[in-house]
Amino acid sequence: MLSIHRLTRVYGDKTVLDEVSFDVRPGRMTGFVGANGAGKTTTMRMIVGVLAPTSGEVHWHGAPLTTEQRRSFGYMPEERGLYPGQKVLDQLVFFGRLHGMTTAEAKERAQSLLARLGLTEREDDLLETLSLGNQQRVQIAASLVHRPSALILDEPFSGLDPLAVDAMVSLLRDEVTPEMPVLFSSHQLDLVERLCDDLVILSGGRLVAAGSVEELQSSQEERYRIRLADQADAGALREVPGLEVLDAEDSSALVRLTTLAPEKALVAAQAVAPVVEFARVVRPLSQIFREASA
Amino acid sequence: MSTPTRPAGLWRLIATREVTTRIRDKAFIGGTLFSVVLIIGVFVVTALVSGGPRSYDVAVVEAPSGVLEGTAAYLSVGEDEPAEVNAVEVDDTAAAEAAVRDGEADVALLTTADGFELVSEDGADEVLEAALRAAIAETVTATNAQAQDVDLEALVAGSEVTARELDPRAAEAGARSAVAFGFAIVFLLTAMGFGMAISQSVVREKESRVVEILAAAVPIRALLWGKIVGNTVLALGQVVILVAVSLIGLAVTGESGLLAGLSGAMAWYVVLFVLGFVSLAALWSVAGSLASKQEDLQSTTLPGQMLLFVPYFVSVLAGEGVRVVFSMLPIVSTMVMPGRIAEGDVPLWQIAVAIASTVVAAFVFVRLGERMFERTVLRTGGKLGYREALAIRE
Repeated sequence: MLSIHRLTRVYGDKTVLDEVSFDVRPGRMTGFVGANGAGKTTTMRMIVGVLAPTSGEVHWHGAPLTTEQRRSFGYMPEERGLYPGQKVLDQLVFFGRLHGMTTAEAKERAQSLLARLGLTEREDDLLETLSLGNQQRVQIAASLVHRPSALILDEPFSGLDPLAVDAMVSLLRDEVTPEMPVLFSSHQLDLVERLCDDLVILSGGRLVAAGSVEELQSSQEERYRIRLADQADAGALREVPGLEVLDAEDSSALVRLTTLAPEKALVAAQAVAPVVEFARVVRPLSQIFREASA
Repeated sequence: MSTPTRPAGLWRLIATREVTTRIRDKAFIGGTLFSVVLIIGVFVVTALVSGGPRSYDVAVVEAPSGVLEGTAAYLSVGEDEPAEVNAVEVDDTAAAEAAVRDGEADVALLTTADGFELVSEDGADEVLEAALRAAIAETVTATNAQAQDVDLEALVAGSEVTARELDPRAAEAGARSAVAFGFAIVFLLTAMGFGMAISQSVVREKESRVVEILAAAVPIRALLWGKIVGNTVLALGQVVILVAVSLIGLAVTGESGLLAGLSGAMAWYVVLFVLGFVSLAALWSVAGSLASKQEDLQSTTLPGQMLLFVPYFVSVLAGEGVRVVFSMLPIVSTMVMPGRIAEGDVPLWQIAVAIASTVVAAFVFVRLGERMFERTVLRTGGKLGYREALAIRE
């Protein structure tokens, strides 16, 4: 488990990160969202040690993270960075070796990653000759080549087409071991919703929400959409005790159950008019995000 | 950032990458080849100008016995290879004059009633003329002495003049000064060239942001050392090639005497070169880490350039006293000291001071460089000044 503990970063008199604490649980994908300037990149850079925190600590399995443990992490910075003029395979081997692998180990591992990313034919090409999408695939391979103990990925999917996203996601799913915490930031909330198990939301340098996606989605009272048959006026539902109509339009209404259990509410609604749809409304992440950042 | 562990060999990996990518670089290969060709060119031009062994053609109607041989002998005194004086046999005076005019002969030597006449187009080569006069005098005197039945040896007894050189190396002074200049300029150019390469290599990693991945993976100090070691090896390798080409050039052009006298200076040069280069390498790395873009290098590398150029010009233009002092100052010593050793004897203590001061400077510069590099290499968005960088506390 990777625990961020009251991490703070101050530039001059500007606090860009203010006592942020959250956990990144192993074996799960944790999405890290927040508007631009919320402090995501600052947090990630402090986790991997390229930026010193003003105060606060990063813990690994309950103890302060050592430099040695930190170096075993895989990191993909927001601003992509590899050697443009070096061959793809050569630089993956170089990064593997920097993490203590032998040349043979690193080469085998790099080739296997490239194969899974569909880049085997390009391994002897200079990085700069690859398309941006392919360069990004190499970048993710660079963060995985040394079999990291944790993954910190800053906007790993930005600028990728849906197919490339799928390829990268399936690679990540293969690579994430039950012991490995994965933290990735993204602006693409639909993607975060699809991928992540846990969610951390930052706003203006502060933590506004953290937890599993289900927890966050059900953290408020349940809402249901009720659609009545035969164009019956949904406004009539306002007469039903134990539920509150939040919004009614034609035959459809969004309701909040105040005292009724869902099955009772269905029966009560049937008394008004035949019900063709009775569904729980799960708030999309974008809404949680908007509410949290508001 | 704390760096409690320094896994062995990390800096070596960085250095290896630095070297292998560079020696595949076409610009680097081209530059090295250009330097080699330039040196070879200097030797070729020098050989052409100095003309190799002297060879003269003398037009004669009838070669006076022994004169041309004697002339060749005079011309060969003090030369490595014997001079040649060839007779161009002609029928008469007119033919002899024609031969001189056409360039078939350098001069014509004609017999007259009183002796000889030296005919040239517009004044004979002085060396040739002196040798001819001496040879004629000797041959004619010997002939006359025999005719007069005079014991020539008795006649010239006591007139022999032998030569003793107080400073046989003075004759090579010009060549030695040239070598001294060569030492200075090669260090200047190499330190500049590879210095800029270090700065560029650092700023390229900053620009491509790969430095962020490197910093997450290895101690920043290992990055700095990898760059210093890698580029020092490259610079030294290039200098060794250039020095080797020069040595071969000296040997081929028959300057083996000069060669023997310079071996000491060359050895000290290599020692001072490494020390001077390492001190500067740290500074050049910092120049790279202060910059955010390639364009920033113009200003951030200025101190490094000044550290090379100012002492260089001072040492070239200044008098002997200043050169002695400069030869003991760090970094500058690499440009001046080997040259002084090449030109003459330098007291050992002065060499010791030069080495010691450069070692101290290397140490100070590398420590200072480490601190500034660690604090600035991960900063982006605008270049930093040296004073600013020193003031950063993290």
